[in-house]
Amino acid sequence: MSGVNRVRLAHLIRVFAWTGLTSLGGGRSAYFHDAVVVRRPWVRNDEFVQDLTLSQLLPGPNFSNLAVALGCRLAGLRGGGWGLAAVLAPGALILLFLAVLYFRGAFAPGVAPLMRGMGAAVVGLVFVMTARIVAASVRGRAAVLVALATFLCVGPLQVNTVLAIALVLPVSVWLHRPPRA
Amino acid sequence: MAGLLALTWTFLWLSLLCVGGGLGVLPEMQRQVVAHFGWVTTREFVDGYTLSQLTPGPNMLVVVFVGYRAHGVPGAALAALAMFLPTSMLTAVVARRWERVRENPWALAAERALAPVGIGLMAAGVYTLARSAVHDATTAALAVAAAAVLAVRWLPPVAVVLAGGLVGWLAGL
Repeated sequence: MSGVNRVRLAHLIRVFAWTGLTSLGGGRSAYFHDAVVVRRPWVRNDEFVQDLTLSQLLPGPNFSNLAVALGCRLAGLRGGGWGLAAVLAPGALILLFLAVLYFRGAFAPGVAPLMRGMGAAVVGLVFVMTARIVAASVRGRAAVLVALATFLCVGPLQVNTVLAIALVLPVSVWLHRPPRA
Repeated sequence: MAGLLALTWTFLWLSLLCVGGGLGVLPEMQRQVVAHFGWVTTREFVDGYTLSQLTPGPNMLVVVFVGYRAHGVPGAALAALAMFLPTSMLTAVVARRWERVRENPWALAAERALAPVGIGLMAAGVYTLARSAVHDATTAALAVAAAAVLAVRWLPPVAVVLAGGLVGWLAGL
Protein backbone atom coordinates (compact mmCIF):
# COMPACT_ATOMS: atom_id res chain seq x y z
CA MET A 1 0.00 0.00 0.00
CA SER A 2 1.51 3.34 -1.00
CA GLY A 3 1.63 6.25 1.39
CA VAL A 4 0.17 8.63 -1.18
CA ASN A 5 -3.56 9.24 -1.04
CA ARG A 6 -5.25 8.32 -4.30
CA VAL A 7 -8.34 10.48 -3.80
CA ARG A 8 -9.31 13.55 -1.83
CA LEU A 9 -10.99 12.78 1.49
CA ALA A 10 -14.08 14.88 0.73
CA HIS A 11 -14.58 13.03 -2.55
CA LEU A 12 -14.14 9.67 -0.81
CA ILE A 13 -16.71 10.58 1.85
CA ARG A 14 -19.19 11.64 -0.82
CA VAL A 15 -18.82 8.43 -2.82
CA PHE A 16 -18.88 6.16 0.26
CA ALA A 17 -21.94 7.91 1.72
CA TRP A 18 -23.75 7.52 -1.58
CA THR A 19 -22.73 3.84 -1.73
CA GLY A 20 -24.01 3.34 1.82
CA LEU A 21 -27.26 5.06 1.01
CA THR A 22 -27.96 3.14 -2.20
CA SER A 23 -26.83 -0.35 -1.14
CA LEU A 24 -30.06 -2.22 -0.54
CA GLY A 25 -30.83 -5.92 -0.59
CA GLY A 26 -28.41 -8.83 -0.78
CA GLY A 27 -24.85 -8.79 -2.07
CA ARG A 28 -24.15 -5.29 -0.85
CA SER A 29 -20.41 -5.53 -1.51
CA ALA A 30 -21.24 -5.44 -5.22
CA TYR A 31 -22.27 -1.79 -4.84
CA PHE A 32 -18.72 -0.97 -3.76
CA HIS A 33 -17.28 -2.78 -6.75
CA ASP A 34 -19.45 -0.66 -8.99
CA ALA A 35 -18.49 2.58 -7.19
CA VAL A 36 -14.70 2.22 -6.98
CA VAL A 37 -13.73 -0.22 -9.76
CA VAL A 38 -16.32 0.04 -12.53
CA ARG A 39 -17.37 3.69 -12.39
CA ARG A 40 -14.18 5.27 -11.07
CA PRO A 41 -10.60 4.22 -11.72
CA TRP A 42 -9.83 4.25 -7.99
CA VAL A 43 -9.10 0.58 -7.28
CA ARG A 44 -7.96 -2.22 -9.61
CA ASN A 45 -10.11 -5.35 -9.74
CA ASP A 46 -7.42 -7.55 -8.17
CA GLU A 47 -7.00 -5.01 -5.34
CA PHE A 48 -10.76 -5.05 -4.77
CA VAL A 49 -10.84 -8.85 -4.61
CA GLN A 50 -7.98 -8.75 -2.12
CA ASP A 51 -9.83 -6.24 0.11
CA LEU A 52 -13.05 -8.22 -0.21
CA THR A 53 -11.31 -11.43 0.89
CA LEU A 54 -9.74 -9.61 3.81
CA SER A 55 -13.10 -8.15 4.87
CA GLN A 56 -14.62 -11.63 4.88
CA LEU A 57 -11.66 -13.26 6.59
CA LEU A 58 -11.51 -10.84 9.52
CA PRO A 59 -14.25 -10.81 12.17
CA GLY A 60 -16.93 -8.14 11.85
CA PRO A 61 -19.65 -7.21 9.41
CA ASN A 62 -18.25 -7.62 5.86
CA PHE A 63 -19.68 -4.42 4.46
CA SER A 64 -18.11 -2.16 7.08
CA ASN A 65 -14.81 -4.07 6.96
CA LEU A 66 -14.74 -3.61 3.18
CA ALA A 67 -15.41 0.12 3.54
CA VAL A 68 -12.47 0.40 5.96
CA ALA A 69 -10.09 -1.64 3.79
CA LEU A 70 -10.96 0.34 0.65
CA GLY A 71 -10.89 3.63 2.55
CA CYS A 72 -7.39 2.87 3.90
CA ARG A 73 -6.21 1.93 0.42
CA LEU A 74 -7.55 5.17 -1.07
CA ALA A 75 -6.71 7.73 1.61
CA GLY A 76 -4.82 6.09 4.47
CA LEU A 77 -6.14 5.64 8.01
CA ARG A 78 -8.26 8.78 7.79
CA GLY A 79 -9.82 7.40 4.63
CA GLY A 80 -10.67 4.19 6.51
CA GLY A 81 -12.24 6.05 9.44
CA TRP A 82 -14.22 8.54 7.39
CA GLY A 83 -15.16 5.85 4.87
CA LEU A 84 -16.65 3.77 7.69
CA ALA A 85 -18.60 6.71 9.12
CA ALA A 86 -19.87 7.64 5.66
CA VAL A 87 -21.29 4.19 4.83
CA LEU A 88 -22.83 3.63 8.26
CA ALA A 89 -24.32 6.99 9.18
CA PRO A 90 -27.18 7.19 6.64
CA GLY A 91 -28.50 3.68 7.36
CA ALA A 92 -27.98 4.01 11.13
CA LEU A 93 -30.00 7.26 11.25
CA ILE A 94 -32.80 5.82 9.11
CA LEU A 95 -32.99 2.67 11.25
CA LEU A 96 -32.94 4.73 14.46
CA PHE A 97 -35.85 6.77 13.10
CA LEU A 98 -37.74 3.56 12.24
CA ALA A 99 -36.97 2.11 15.71
CA VAL A 100 -38.40 5.24 17.37
CA LEU A 101 -41.57 4.95 15.27
CA TYR A 102 -41.80 1.18 15.88
CA PHE A 103 -41.45 1.30 19.66
CA ARG A 104 -43.74 4.33 20.00
CA GLY A 105 -46.47 2.17 18.48
CA ALA A 106 -46.68 3.98 15.15
CA PHE A 107 -46.49 0.59 13.41
CA ALA A 108 -49.21 -1.17 15.38
CA PRO A 109 -51.65 -2.77 15.02
CA GLY A 110 -52.46 -2.51 11.29
CA VAL A 111 -48.82 -2.87 10.28
CA ALA A 112 -48.23 -6.15 12.15
CA PRO A 113 -49.46 -8.35 9.24
CA LEU A 114 -47.28 -6.31 6.89
CA MET A 115 -44.21 -6.89 9.08
CA ARG A 116 -44.99 -10.62 9.34
CA GLY A 117 -45.27 -10.88 5.56
CA MET A 118 -41.99 -9.01 5.07
CA GLY A 119 -40.33 -11.18 7.74
CA ALA A 120 -41.34 -14.33 5.88
CA ALA A 121 -40.03 -12.88 2.60
CA VAL A 122 -36.71 -12.04 4.30
CA VAL A 123 -36.37 -15.74 5.18
CA GLY A 124 -36.67 -16.53 1.46
CA LEU A 125 -34.12 -13.79 0.70
CA VAL A 126 -31.44 -14.95 3.15
CA PHE A 127 -32.00 -18.56 2.05
CA VAL A 128 -31.31 -17.74 -1.60
CA MET A 129 -28.27 -15.57 -0.72
CA THR A 130 -26.79 -18.33 1.40
CA ALA A 131 -27.57 -21.03 -1.16
CA ARG A 132 -25.73 -18.99 -3.84
CA ILE A 133 -22.67 -18.66 -1.64
CA VAL A 134 -22.74 -22.37 -0.78
CA ALA A 135 -22.98 -23.26 -4.47
CA ALA A 136 -20.13 -20.89 -5.40
CA SER A 137 -17.65 -21.57 -2.64
CA VAL A 138 -18.09 -24.88 -0.81
CA ARG A 139 -15.61 -27.17 -2.54
CA GLY A 140 -14.38 -30.55 -1.35
CA ARG A 141 -15.45 -32.99 1.33
CA ALA A 142 -13.58 -31.22 4.14
CA ALA A 143 -15.37 -27.91 3.49
CA VAL A 144 -18.79 -29.62 3.34
CA LEU A 145 -18.13 -31.41 6.63
CA VAL A 146 -16.95 -28.27 8.41
CA ALA A 147 -19.89 -26.19 7.12
CA LEU A 148 -22.37 -28.91 8.11
CA ALA A 149 -20.88 -29.38 11.58
CA THR A 150 -20.95 -25.61 12.19
CA PHE A 151 -24.54 -25.36 11.00
CA LEU A 152 -25.74 -28.27 13.17
CA CYS A 153 -23.99 -26.96 16.29
CA VAL A 154 -25.12 -23.35 16.07
CA GLY A 155 -28.54 -23.96 14.43
CA PRO A 156 -30.55 -27.01 15.56
CA LEU A 157 -28.33 -27.99 18.51
CA GLN A 158 -28.17 -24.39 19.81
CA VAL A 159 -24.57 -24.68 20.98
CA ASN A 160 -23.06 -21.32 22.02
CA THR A 161 -21.39 -19.89 18.89
CA VAL A 162 -18.07 -19.17 20.63
CA LEU A 163 -17.88 -22.81 21.75
CA ALA A 164 -18.92 -24.08 18.31
CA ILE A 165 -16.19 -22.03 16.58
CA ALA A 166 -13.65 -23.17 19.19
CA LEU A 167 -14.56 -26.78 18.42
CA VAL A 168 -14.83 -26.60 14.64
CA LEU A 169 -12.17 -24.06 13.61
CA PRO A 170 -9.08 -26.00 14.77
CA VAL A 171 -10.35 -29.08 12.90
CA SER A 172 -10.96 -26.95 9.81
CA VAL A 173 -7.47 -25.39 9.97
CA TRP A 174 -5.96 -28.87 10.27
CA LEU A 175 -8.03 -30.15 7.32
CA HIS A 176 -6.95 -27.14 5.22
CA ARG A 177 -3.32 -26.98 6.41
CA PRO A 178 -0.71 -26.03 3.80
CA PRO A 179 1.01 -28.97 2.13
CA ARG A 180 4.55 -29.64 3.32
CA ALA A 181 7.19 -28.23 1.04
CA MET B 1 -25.00 2.54 33.58
CA ALA B 2 -24.43 -1.17 34.23
CA GLY B 3 -27.10 -1.89 31.62
CA LEU B 4 -25.30 0.23 29.01
CA LEU B 5 -22.03 -1.53 29.80
CA ALA B 6 -23.64 -4.96 29.42
CA LEU B 7 -25.15 -3.85 26.10
CA THR B 8 -21.84 -2.51 24.78
CA TRP B 9 -19.88 -5.55 25.91
CA THR B 10 -22.44 -7.97 24.41
CA PHE B 11 -22.39 -6.36 20.96
CA LEU B 12 -18.61 -6.08 21.10
CA TRP B 13 -18.04 -9.80 21.56
CA LEU B 14 -20.85 -10.60 19.14
CA SER B 15 -19.06 -8.49 16.49
CA LEU B 16 -16.03 -10.77 16.82
CA LEU B 17 -18.28 -13.73 15.94
CA CYS B 18 -19.25 -12.20 12.59
CA VAL B 19 -17.26 -14.69 10.55
CA GLY B 20 -18.19 -14.47 6.88
CA GLY B 21 -20.86 -11.84 7.46
CA GLY B 22 -23.56 -10.63 9.79
CA LEU B 23 -26.08 -13.38 9.12
CA GLY B 24 -23.85 -15.91 10.86
CA VAL B 25 -23.98 -14.09 14.17
CA LEU B 26 -27.79 -13.93 14.18
CA PRO B 27 -28.42 -17.16 16.17
CA GLU B 28 -26.14 -16.06 19.02
CA MET B 29 -27.42 -12.48 18.90
CA GLN B 30 -31.00 -13.69 19.20
CA ARG B 31 -30.05 -15.92 22.14
CA GLN B 32 -28.39 -13.00 23.91
CA VAL B 33 -30.79 -10.12 23.21
CA VAL B 34 -34.03 -12.14 23.45
CA ALA B 35 -33.47 -15.12 25.74
CA HIS B 36 -30.61 -13.94 27.97
CA PHE B 37 -31.14 -10.19 28.45
CA GLY B 38 -34.76 -9.82 27.30
CA TRP B 39 -34.01 -6.49 25.57
CA VAL B 40 -36.45 -7.35 22.77
CA THR B 41 -39.00 -10.10 22.08
CA THR B 42 -38.48 -12.65 19.29
CA ARG B 43 -41.12 -10.82 17.24
CA GLU B 44 -39.38 -7.45 17.73
CA PHE B 45 -36.01 -8.99 16.82
CA VAL B 46 -37.37 -10.40 13.56
CA ASP B 47 -39.10 -7.08 12.80
CA GLY B 48 -35.84 -5.23 13.49
CA TYR B 49 -33.90 -7.51 11.16
CA THR B 50 -36.60 -7.09 8.51
CA LEU B 51 -36.35 -3.30 8.80
CA SER B 52 -32.56 -3.53 8.54
CA GLN B 53 -33.03 -5.38 5.24
CA LEU B 54 -35.08 -2.46 3.95
CA THR B 55 -32.59 0.12 5.23
CA PRO B 56 -29.42 1.06 3.36
CA GLY B 57 -26.09 -0.13 4.74
CA PRO B 58 -25.14 -3.36 6.50
CA ASN B 59 -27.85 -5.56 8.06
CA MET B 60 -25.95 -5.56 11.33
CA LEU B 61 -27.35 -2.08 11.86
CA VAL B 62 -30.13 -4.14 13.52
CA VAL B 63 -28.08 -3.48 16.68
CA VAL B 64 -29.27 0.16 16.51
CA PHE B 65 -32.85 -1.12 16.74
CA VAL B 66 -32.11 -3.43 19.69
CA GLY B 67 -29.91 -0.84 21.42
CA TYR B 68 -32.62 1.79 21.14
CA ARG B 69 -35.21 -0.55 22.69
CA ALA B 70 -32.86 -1.43 25.55
CA HIS B 71 -31.46 2.01 26.46
CA GLY B 72 -32.81 4.70 24.12
CA VAL B 73 -30.57 6.77 21.84
CA PRO B 74 -27.39 6.23 23.95
CA GLY B 75 -28.06 2.47 23.72
CA ALA B 76 -28.44 2.70 19.94
CA ALA B 77 -25.20 4.70 19.58
CA LEU B 78 -23.16 2.44 21.86
CA ALA B 79 -24.53 -0.73 20.22
CA ALA B 80 -23.47 0.58 16.80
CA LEU B 81 -20.03 1.63 18.04
CA ALA B 82 -19.49 -1.75 19.72
CA MET B 83 -20.57 -3.69 16.64
CA PHE B 84 -18.59 -1.70 14.07
CA LEU B 85 -15.66 0.15 15.64
CA PRO B 86 -13.35 -2.54 17.12
CA THR B 87 -13.57 -4.87 14.11
CA SER B 88 -13.05 -1.89 11.78
CA MET B 89 -9.91 -0.91 13.65
CA LEU B 90 -8.64 -4.46 13.34
CA THR B 91 -9.36 -4.35 9.60
CA ALA B 92 -7.50 -1.04 9.26
CA VAL B 93 -4.45 -2.45 11.06
CA VAL B 94 -4.38 -5.72 9.09
CA ALA B 95 -5.21 -4.10 5.72
CA ARG B 96 -1.98 -2.10 5.84
CA ARG B 97 0.06 -5.24 6.32
CA TRP B 98 -2.03 -7.69 4.33
CA GLU B 99 0.18 -7.69 1.19
CA ARG B 100 3.01 -9.21 3.22
CA VAL B 101 0.88 -11.44 5.46
CA ARG B 102 -0.84 -13.23 2.60
CA GLU B 103 2.46 -14.51 1.25
CA ASN B 104 2.54 -16.84 4.27
CA PRO B 105 1.03 -20.24 3.34
CA TRP B 106 -0.79 -20.30 6.68
CA ALA B 107 -2.69 -17.12 5.71
CA LEU B 108 -4.17 -19.01 2.75
CA ALA B 109 -4.88 -22.02 4.99
CA ALA B 110 -6.70 -19.75 7.48
CA GLU B 111 -8.70 -18.25 4.63
CA ARG B 112 -9.72 -21.71 3.39
CA ALA B 113 -10.44 -22.95 6.90
CA LEU B 114 -12.64 -19.99 7.85
CA ALA B 115 -14.76 -19.95 4.69
CA PRO B 116 -16.80 -23.13 5.46
CA VAL B 117 -17.18 -22.11 9.13
CA GLY B 118 -18.65 -18.79 7.94
CA ILE B 119 -20.99 -20.59 5.56
CA GLY B 120 -22.17 -22.97 8.31
CA LEU B 121 -22.86 -19.94 10.52
CA MET B 122 -24.81 -18.25 7.72
CA ALA B 123 -26.92 -21.39 7.26
CA ALA B 124 -27.59 -21.40 11.01
CA GLY B 125 -28.66 -17.75 10.66
CA VAL B 126 -31.19 -18.74 7.98
CA TYR B 127 -32.42 -21.55 10.26
CA THR B 128 -32.84 -19.19 13.23
CA LEU B 129 -34.71 -16.58 11.19
CA ALA B 130 -36.95 -19.25 9.65
CA ARG B 131 -37.85 -20.64 13.07
CA SER B 132 -38.76 -17.16 14.28
CA ALA B 133 -40.57 -15.81 11.22
CA VAL B 134 -42.25 -18.87 9.71
CA HIS B 135 -44.99 -20.22 11.96
CA ASP B 136 -47.79 -21.42 9.70
CA ALA B 137 -48.61 -22.55 6.16
CA THR B 138 -49.10 -18.97 4.89
CA THR B 139 -45.75 -17.63 6.13
CA ALA B 140 -44.04 -20.82 4.86
CA ALA B 141 -45.63 -20.40 1.43
CA LEU B 142 -44.57 -16.73 1.40
CA ALA B 143 -40.97 -17.61 2.25
CA VAL B 144 -40.85 -20.29 -0.49
CA ALA B 145 -42.45 -17.95 -3.03
CA ALA B 146 -40.00 -15.17 -2.15
CA ALA B 147 -37.06 -17.59 -2.52
CA ALA B 148 -38.37 -18.79 -5.91
CA VAL B 149 -38.78 -15.24 -7.26
CA LEU B 150 -35.29 -14.27 -6.05
CA ALA B 151 -33.69 -17.47 -7.36
CA VAL B 152 -34.76 -16.63 -10.92
CA ARG B 153 -33.85 -12.95 -10.33
CA TRP B 154 -37.31 -11.85 -11.35
CA LEU B 155 -37.43 -8.92 -8.91
CA PRO B 156 -34.78 -7.11 -6.83
CA PRO B 157 -34.58 -8.18 -3.14
CA VAL B 158 -36.14 -5.02 -1.70
CA ALA B 159 -39.14 -5.33 -4.04
CA VAL B 160 -39.61 -8.97 -2.97
CA VAL B 161 -39.57 -8.05 0.74
CA LEU B 162 -42.07 -5.22 0.18
CA ALA B 163 -44.29 -7.53 -1.92
CA GLY B 164 -44.15 -10.08 0.94
CA GLY B 165 -45.41 -7.35 3.25
CA LEU B 166 -48.26 -6.52 0.90
CA VAL B 167 -49.29 -10.19 0.67
CA GLY B 168 -49.08 -10.52 4.46
CA TRP B 169 -51.23 -7.44 4.90
CA LEU B 170 -53.84 -8.63 2.37
CA ALA B 171 -53.87 -12.12 3.92
CA GLY B 172 -54.24 -10.59 7.40
CA LEU B 173 -51.34 -12.64 8.82
